[in-house]
Amino acid sequence: MTPLAFLVVLISDSCGLAGQIFFKHAMGGREGNKGTMLTAGIAVKAVGFFLWVGLLSRYDLSFLYPFEGLQGVVLMFAASIFLKEKMTLNLWMGVALISAGIMLVSRS
Amino acid sequence: MPAVVEPSDEVKEDAKPRKGWFFNPYLHVFLSLLMQTTAQLCLKLGADKSVGGIWLGVEALRSGWVWIGILAMVTGLLSWLYGLRYVPLNIAFNLSGLVQVMLPLSCWWLLGEKIGPIRWCGIALVCAGVCVIARPLMQVEEKL
Repeated sequence: MTPLAFLVVLISDSCGLAGQIFFKHAMGGREGNKGTMLTAGIAVKAVGFFLWVGLLSRYDLSFLYPFEGLQGVVLMFAASIFLKEKMTLNLWMGVALISAGIMLVSRS
Repeated sequence: MPAVVEPSDEVKEDAKPRKGWFFNPYLHVFLSLLMQTTAQLCLKLGADKSVGGIWLGVEALRSGWVWIGILAMVTGLLSWLYGLRYVPLNIAFNLSGLVQVMLPLSCWWLLGEKIGPIRWCGIALVCAGVCVIARPLMQVEEKL
């Protein structure tokens, strides 16, 4: 897997995550803000979706899907940066397991 | 000052699902996992039809498989949202890790992808990691 492909996977994952968060705010957010949030969510999700389909035309699905696990890692770091969440031992363990798994998969 | 009671649809939501097997929330959680797997398989079939020139797979929209995949995604999402109204979140999220197992199995079985021992080990590690991280992650996502 080329570094560029890995970057595209990361962007696609992040788009999926961002879309989810936008949707959440659109569902429960303040009135008037909903339309913007929904539009942003759909736009971001669409970009993630098309990047994903583009990736699928290059790689095996069983090769790519484990990278979805990176969403959790991205979310974790986002939370610790933006929300100042504490990283617990459990979280580090999860991050370590997922990263190790991805490393193996990317070599297969 | 008296509190203003706003009329809301959510308050009236019944705590118990309707009777009948079709309304079983666990069935819908599984259905959504199945749909998610199906969606990925269909997207893969559709993406294979398009020659990967650029990184954005927009041209794959010409394939019917991609549209079936999108349909499966939406159906899965609806089932998921319904299931989540009754199934405790942490159970639902742990179940959702099943996709990481179902998907490679169906890739091997239905798409005939060859999965070597290294890839299987990697997939197993990712699965374990996803399960470990599921609960704290869900608490974090609530706040974002």
